[in-house]
Amino acid sequence: MKTYLLACFTVLFACCYVGGAFADHHETAEMTMLQFPESYKAMSVSNGGTISGVVKFEGDVPEMKMLEITKDQAVCGATEKFDETLVVGEGNALKNTIVYLMDISQGKDFDKAAKLEMDQKGCQFNPHVQIVPVGVRVTMLNNDRVNHNVHIFSSVNKPVNKQQTKNRRKMPLAGVKKAEGPVSVKCDIHGWMSAWIAYVPHPYFAVTNEMGEFTLENVPPGTYKLGYWHEACGTNNESPAAVTVEAGGTVKQDFTLMLKKNVAESGKHN
Amino acid sequence: MIRIQQILPNTKITHLILFLAIIPVLQFADAQNVPQASEEGKRVYEKSCAHCHGTEGRGDGSAAENLLPKPRDFTRGLYKIRSTEAGELPTDQDLLDIITKGMPGSSMPGWETALSANERREVVAYIKTFHDGFKEQESPPRQISLAGKIAYSEESVEIGKGLYTELGCIECHGNIGRGDGTSAPTLTDEWGFQTWPANLAQSWNFRGGSDTEDIFKRFIGGLAGSPMPAFEGDSFLNFGLTSAESKRLTELENRDEMTAAEEEESGQYYEKMDAAVNIALNIAEGTELSAEEQQTYTEAMKVVYEKSWHLANYVKSLAPEKRPEPAIGNNVLRSQYVTDALPAKTDAAWDTLESSHFPLVAQVIIEPRQFNPTIDSVNVKSFYNDTEVAFLFTWDDRTHTTAEEDEETGNILEDALAIQFPVKIPQGPTAPKPYFLWGGRLPVYLWQWKASAPDQVTELTAKGINNAEAQAVQSDIQAEGSYTNGQYTLWVKRALKTDDKKDLQLEPGVFVPIAFSAWDGANGDINTKRVISSWYAFVLEPVPSSKRFIYPPLVALLSVGLLLGLRGFVQRRNS
Amino acid sequence: MKRLSLFTKCLIIFIGCWVFLRFIVGNVISVPIPGSVIAMYMGLIIVAILVHISVEDTRFREFLRPIHETLVDNNRRVRRRVIAVLIPLFLLGYTYSIIAQRTNPPGNPRDAHPSPPLEITYKDEVIGATQEVENPFRHYEKDDPEAFRAHVENGKRVYYDNCFYCHGDDLDGQGHFAPHIQPLPANFQDPGIIPNFQESFLFWRISKGGPGLPAAGTPWDSAMPIWENYLTKDEIWDVILFLSDYTGYQPRTFGEGH
Repeated sequence: MKTYLLACFTVLFACCYVGGAFADHHETAEMTMLQFPESYKAMSVSNGGTISGVVKFEGDVPEMKMLEITKDQAVCGATEKFDETLVVGEGNALKNTIVYLMDISQGKDFDKAAKLEMDQKGCQFNPHVQIVPVGVRVTMLNNDRVNHNVHIFSSVNKPVNKQQTKNRRKMPLAGVKKAEGPVSVKCDIHGWMSAWIAYVPHPYFAVTNEMGEFTLENVPPGTYKLGYWHEACGTNNESPAAVTVEAGGTVKQDFTLMLKKNVAESGKHN
Repeated sequence: MIRIQQILPNTKITHLILFLAIIPVLQFADAQNVPQASEEGKRVYEKSCAHCHGTEGRGDGSAAENLLPKPRDFTRGLYKIRSTEAGELPTDQDLLDIITKGMPGSSMPGWETALSANERREVVAYIKTFHDGFKEQESPPRQISLAGKIAYSEESVEIGKGLYTELGCIECHGNIGRGDGTSAPTLTDEWGFQTWPANLAQSWNFRGGSDTEDIFKRFIGGLAGSPMPAFEGDSFLNFGLTSAESKRLTELENRDEMTAAEEEESGQYYEKMDAAVNIALNIAEGTELSAEEQQTYTEAMKVVYEKSWHLANYVKSLAPEKRPEPAIGNNVLRSQYVTDALPAKTDAAWDTLESSHFPLVAQVIIEPRQFNPTIDSVNVKSFYNDTEVAFLFTWDDRTHTTAEEDEETGNILEDALAIQFPVKIPQGPTAPKPYFLWGGRLPVYLWQWKASAPDQVTELTAKGINNAEAQAVQSDIQAEGSYTNGQYTLWVKRALKTDDKKDLQLEPGVFVPIAFSAWDGANGDINTKRVISSWYAFVLEPVPSSKRFIYPPLVALLSVGLLLGLRGFVQRRNS
Repeated sequence: MKRLSLFTKCLIIFIGCWVFLRFIVGNVISVPIPGSVIAMYMGLIIVAILVHISVEDTRFREFLRPIHETLVDNNRRVRRRVIAVLIPLFLLGYTYSIIAQRTNPPGNPRDAHPSPPLEITYKDEVIGATQEVENPFRHYEKDDPEAFRAHVENGKRVYYDNCFYCHGDDLDGQGHFAPHIQPLPANFQDPGIIPNFQESFLFWRISKGGPGLPAAGTPWDSAMPIWENYLTKDEIWDVILFLSDYTGYQPRTFGEGH
């Protein structure tokens, strides 16, 4: 009887209070998640196809918010800096969108020669969105000669929180064990600095450039779910685009994204 | 449920008896015996922990909303207070210690008396079930070695002080450690909640204790989940270099231009660093090390440990061992008499006085309430002469806020202090004082100071926290306020007597109730949202009476006379 | 060894009694005995000693003999001189310490417990006479244990959402805001609190808080908020159930002591 009652109350409390204030928080976490295949096998791909396209933004383009530089003015405040949450270029091109294959289980291997770096220059991260293969080191650069503190808010992997003192030009970070992301990258010392890293298990990830363009090359022929993620516009996890790649062919798939209702919420890391 | 404290009176003797009785129990109260998670652990957790930490251990119990720091979310396996190296889980003993002793400066109490040693062990086992990492652990977590402790000395403190700047501690903890670094207001923890850097001058609020060893462990292990980084090999300043090499490299780097030879020299250092960092990364990634690599790593970590001990000694030097005794009972604030003019704000005369310490508590009585106070206490000194009294108030505030718009409410926030007295001093111990929260039926007289007008104090009369008015006639009160290194200093001077009936009139030897309110604008404090104190007392300490040199010798002489008289009387009777 | 003289014995008894009252009794009952009470007892002891030595003439003379000897005998010269120096010196120091003593602030001699009003109210609504109002959910304890548990659980939630900041996780008055509140928040684990009061009294103290305390018996200086501004009537009754359920103490019922 006692246990039964206890269980009843436990459930009651769980429903009433666990939900409440924290629900939004967890929801955001779910919404920002990329979809990864259960397993991935690298192999050589011959006569693979290409998926390319343009991501555009729909809606009133908000004026770019200038960042308020509160310290280290000489270095950080030398030029005007803008919040990169939503960067819309000419023709409504949407920068910094991750476009990727959700359900690919085999394909090409990572480009081992690619240099994985994230720069900290003028107290801003560059690039704003970085794709990092699981198990591979990414090097944080400090070109500022001021102290930075690299804080990566991982929850699947161990969070990273490392001081990069002003004379530490390069700081490689250990490769992570599991696919995750994108996770927020912050500098605890310069609160406005913000970037994203996606730890990915396969190489079919692209980030759109200033023109909103992306290209996924050497895709083995087949039909795939094409997903996207954008910091301010969310994901299409509910309804990914289906693309069919033919050997040696090129498929076009454009996306038009709108702001998530709660843009403010998406700024929170989790 | 009957508790032993209820049966036995609370005295030192009973403490001793209890202690003796507990000794056999204590031997089992270590984590060696943490059992497998059980129904008992769940029962204790749900009775004593779930209301804050949540039934599922996510730190989201119903009481969590108004707490800062937030109750720990156990599902992430991130624990701040550990004896283990960076990135490791805590040991059972770490968890047991926190449950037993609590975390000063937070809402986590010590459970030593409320839960039995066995219940605490059960709850440790249960808490571990919330995070899979504990189950998946293959080997026990790597413990931080305290073996190379460097004893406290002036030299060590001096080295630590240099490191404090070099390592960038200053960015958050401020120039002299009061938690007022330029990055302090923007910090968030792993869950996105705001968090303030520790004020290193208030050791009594250190969550994991204020022994040098405790401080050292926080450096090496980091405060997981908070913005405080661990001193790990792969990120530590000039890792892999000896102290001398590190110094030399910094020197070279600070030059505008290097000669070819210097370029080469620094290049060698960088190579050495890269090799050491590479080993540290290999460890983090779980790669086996060769014996040689192991040796290099151990040597490099030795330097990290050494520097951490120096830094720990420096941090230790910044604060007293424990909170000063609050100014209650016979420890009240006593204004000291001087014959001449009262000392100005920066006069060295103030250094001759001991501060009276007034802890402040959150105002949780009247809405809007403040549940997460950031101002700990106010310290006060005072002098008076025949006509005037001067006070020197100091209090720590991590941010200097003079006018900042609150994004949510649009209120203009600023830092402030108010000093409260009754209008009429209660006569006799049973006379009622005004309600301590800015009066009620009986009015209070207030000095209100605001950071935006640091050299001005306004007199208020209040009959309630929402019922205060600036006096129409302002007496001549001189004030000077300033903010340096995370601390406000306010100097106030007023005549002992004024013509205004709404003012407090002072007289030596009379105990006057005194209370405080303080606002930290950056913490959203405004109006009723603030920290407060209940009534304390202060007195203009009377000049010691000159009678003390007259009466005692008289009494002594009299007694000699009496003795002689008695002897004479007895002798006469005998003869 | 020489037999102790009557004077020495009396002196030992006198000093012994003082030490006993001043240092030993105070420690055992955990509250030091006030100086005035000790003075009264010591007065009684002096009277008792005087009665004892003056019952017989010979005994009185025996008592006086050492004093007499010290004062006049030639072979007691050293002792006489020592005493002639020590007594004035002692008085010198004692008088100085009394005159130069710092004044200390008045204590807080308030009543142990306030007297409740005749009527229990919630906001302006009259609930009933203080001597009659009962906790409307108390009867569930016997009638419907399941409903009772639900009320206690709700009381627990109310407690940890509102009260534990001061009254503590363990209801011991040691919440994280408690240490610097004067007077200290009530310790419900103290057997002198809950068993001493009827639930109507607890309801009154919770609903009206510090500002609701009577004008008599001041100063109260309680920091207890006016909880009727934050809690519903039922929540207050529930939290009272939780207080007694957690501590195991039953509030007084109306039958007792009336």
